Amino acid sequence: MGWRDAWRLSRTPLAEVSFQAIYAFRQGNLPPPGPARLLAARARRRVAQSKALVGFVLGLITVGAAVLLRVGTAGSATLASYALPPAAFDAGVLTGLLSIDVALLWWTGLQMLTTFLSSGALPVLESLPIDETTLRRTAGIVYLRMFDVPTAVVLVATPLFVGIALGPLAGLATVPGALTAVTFALALSFVTGRFFVRKIQGSRGGGGRTVVRWAHLLLWLIPAVAVLGFVSAGPVFFTVLGGAASGSSPTTFEALVAAYPFTLAMLPALAAVGPRGVSLSSVALLELATASAGYVLLAVYASLWMFGSVRSASRLPTRSSRPGPPPQYELRPQRPALAVMTKDLRTESRTPGYAFLILLPILDSVAIGLVTLADAPGRAAAQSLALAAVVAAALLATFFGPAFFSIEVVAYSYGRSLPLSNRSVILGKAALMVIVYLLAGVIVLGITLVRVSAPWVFLGFVAAEFPAVLAAALLELGILFRWSRARGVPVSNLYAGAWTALVVAIPGLVVAAAPLLAYGTFGFVVMAALSVGELAVCAPLTLGREGS
Amino acid sequence: MSVESAADESVPLSIEGLTIDYGERRAVDSLSLALRPGEIYGLLGSNGAGKSSTIKSIVGLVRPRSGRVRVFGRDVTVDGLSAKAKIGYVPETSLLYESLTPREFLEFIAGVRRLDPAAATERMRAYAIAFRLESELEEPIASLSSGTRQKVLIIAAFLHTPRLLVLDEPMNALDPRSVRIVKDLVVRYAGAEGRAVLFSTHTMEVAEELCHRVGILDRGVLLAEGTLNELRGRVAHGDASLEEVFLRLTQEDEGLPAAIALLEG
Repeated sequence: MGWRDAWRLSRTPLAEVSFQAIYAFRQGNLPPPGPARLLAARARRRVAQSKALVGFVLGLITVGAAVLLRVGTAGSATLASYALPPAAFDAGVLTGLLSIDVALLWWTGLQMLTTFLSSGALPVLESLPIDETTLRRTAGIVYLRMFDVPTAVVLVATPLFVGIALGPLAGLATVPGALTAVTFALALSFVTGRFFVRKIQGSRGGGGRTVVRWAHLLLWLIPAVAVLGFVSAGPVFFTVLGGAASGSSPTTFEALVAAYPFTLAMLPALAAVGPRGVSLSSVALLELATASAGYVLLAVYASLWMFGSVRSASRLPTRSSRPGPPPQYELRPQRPALAVMTKDLRTESRTPGYAFLILLPILDSVAIGLVTLADAPGRAAAQSLALAAVVAAALLATFFGPAFFSIEVVAYSYGRSLPLSNRSVILGKAALMVIVYLLAGVIVLGITLVRVSAPWVFLGFVAAEFPAVLAAALLELGILFRWSRARGVPVSNLYAGAWTALVVAIPGLVVAAAPLLAYGTFGFVVMAALSVGELAVCAPLTLGREGS
Repeated sequence: MSVESAADESVPLSIEGLTIDYGERRAVDSLSLALRPGEIYGLLGSNGAGKSSTIKSIVGLVRPRSGRVRVFGRDVTVDGLSAKAKIGYVPETSLLYESLTPREFLEFIAGVRRLDPAAATERMRAYAIAFRLESELEEPIASLSSGTRQKVLIIAAFLHTPRLLVLDEPMNALDPRSVRIVKDLVVRYAGAEGRAVLFSTHTMEVAEELCHRVGILDRGVLLAEGTLNELRGRVAHGDASLEEVFLRLTQEDEGLPAAIALLEG
């Protein structure tokens, strides 16, 4: 069997991944109402919509970067404040673009991977008389085709829009950067995915192991750090870059030149404007050439290795029984809403795609808290930054909140056979979103306590926003819950349900953001009143009716 | 409380005119049956006969097109939570939260069912010892064999001492020792006052051994119902096995020798 057969074979598992991503029959879900013959086509359409949405976001970011390159070239006053030479500025923007490309593709990969593994699409092929090479190729093709639209957008849009902004030669020079970004993102998704199968999903229970599991999951936050770190620490990066590029710190610049993705971002920058204003020593030039070749070679190696290894990712390691007498385990049942929350936390601690949602707002708070502690010029500025961190935590918790419901795809059908009310499920999940917000607030306060001039104002702000975050969580989950029950399908993940998650997040974001905007315009009292008012409306709306 | 509803509350399960559609396909058509207290009722049928759909409507997973399902007088559609609280359910496939361990899963079930911690722990330990599951209580369910997952589901179904057991192919993937235990459990369980068991199976020997009455479903319709002797009477064959009765009633025996001969050829 050749490549053509592998391509042909890949269609079936790929369709199965789409199908399971939407309907989760393998997790026990039941057919939704409506003609059964339309299900497969609907699944393919929904997955295509989700891919298109992710591709659209990536395209939008690329266009944004191109606009920034254009504005920077034209010489904006704000950008001029960084005192960056044109080549360094272009390289800085492209570094941001490539970092975000890698991070978003990686993050999407983490979400897809859960679907890919739980679909069981590949093991079905294993039992058929297909040779090893074809199986390996088929697995690789299935994996690559799951990313087809987003990767195509990065590979096409990056040279195209950078070419429009900086000229055709610069556009062409982005190809190595775009190719390596895609390859590294897919390889990182795969490596972390395999790690997930071996060390996290297969982790035993127990208190100590739970701590280790969450620690392992910090690995999955690297993509988040890449996106948020660049947004939060962008100004710091440009300041450092400005100093390094002007020749005041050649060692820093040489270190930057060797660091991915700055290395490959330098190529289009140099192609566009030449080394104008950048102090490029012969050492730095040699370093640039060597590092560029090195990263391209690493990408080639990574793609070959990944392609040949995808098949192994869907296999769980065999476990041997523990020696000695079995320990005496105890059951500590909690009230239903709390039981739902504990179950979700346990599931999320073994599912990086979900753990990410909890850890992201918390890590963002840590990042902004540290920046506040280190960089804020005065106590008032520190207070503003700390408040901004809480705002970010509130918005992130409500933006990613709908994904907490998508965990219900796991054993969705069995869960519905239990005497568990809608109210308990929604309360359990809303509590988790609110805890994430509060934890983020506590972290910011803990880190910035010495710099914040009026901690009680900060605490009041956190407390006043609390009802709004709870209201937003209840509203989002209430809409999702009724939507999924009405359609008879579980809410799925980013691979299949990105559109739904986004649409539901909008009213939640509005509810969470309204008191924050009111604070800026009308002050604290109006903020608190609005926040409480929103909860008074949303809570009965969502929890008012007890259902099965 | 009306006289009718008071009478209903002593009936473990009553199904009246149940019709279930999946899109254009009718899975169950105007099904009516009732379980008596202390009874083990077997639901038999070929593949696609409507057994699992019927069971899923009892546990509230499928909303019927029409008809009514009551568990100890509680309408599953109207008062689902009360009905589900009385049921212990083993699904036909191992539908578990795979990322949890069996202990974590059972703890979740105990929480949802508001069980006393000490009693729940004691029951979990007893069942774990019986099913030789103790060393696997802290392993992720995803890494367990299908038979072990089935044992976890059986423990979850029994954990709260339900009044009605609904078992959909409960012996799937179980080893002979566990099959023996489950059979014994079902018989002892139904013997307790006021309880009842409904289970579906393809294994006629198991149904013959355990069930007080059986109902035979064919393409969504209840073809026949009764004790084995009553069904033998229906096919006018005094010492027929349940398998022979089933094949005769469902007319699945027609063309059977020819089909076997075709495969041999």
